[in-house]
Amino acid sequence: MSTVLVVAPIVIANWPMITAAVTAAIATSGFTSVQHHASNIAAQMKSKTRETIEVDDSEVLTDTFGTDEAIVVERDGITATFKRDSKGALQICMEGESVSKSQLRAIGEDLLGRVTQQYAYHRIVSELTNRGLTIVDEEMTENESVKIRVRNW
Amino acid sequence: MAQEEIEIEVDKHGRVTIKTIGIKGKRCLDVAEALAEILGKEEGRTMTSEFYESEVHAQNRIEIRNQR
Repeated sequence: MSTVLVVAPIVIANWPMITAAVTAAIATSGFTSVQHHASNIAAQMKSKTRETIEVDDSEVLTDTFGTDEAIVVERDGITATFKRDSKGALQICMEGESVSKSQLRAIGEDLLGRVTQQYAYHRIVSELTNRGLTIVDEEMTENESVKIRVRNW
Repeated sequence: MAQEEIEIEVDKHGRVTIKTIGIKGKRCLDVAEALAEILGKEEGRTMTSEFYESEVHAQNRIEIRNQR
């Protein structure tokens, strides 16, 4: 071994990439995707606890898409809405009943971690493929990390 | 020739650890840094003595013994 680098990914992605990362992340965290109806959600929000997580190190690229997209996922009555904030960063609005703000934040940050994991994984695989490098082994470890081994260059 | 390999681990919080194994000298940094650059912010770096070795370091060793 000669070098070890530790990197904190910055999510810079267009909406389809974020949707793909969220979709992959919820598969491992018990959330399911729900239809987004803004008016219904607004009506339901009145009695719910809410907590917003601003992902400062992120940028949602708009490309040809609009800026009002949202992805809503749900687990045990708690919903997480991923959207682009006014500054262009990713934002997660957590909502739920009988749950504290700190619990919502913890659940939201766990979910965000898994989304970031999926985003990083896809960026890495894409970059390795572009460079003509071969993934010789890939596994999910006991602590839910994804481990990739690359050789042949 | 030593096996050259990169091991990448992405934990469930999204943090990425890139380990280069058997890649010496500047080439080691080229590959690891390229990956780090496309991902985001480098938070830390550790280098072992292998980094400071030359990329070409073949060495023949001849032992001469007196046989009586």
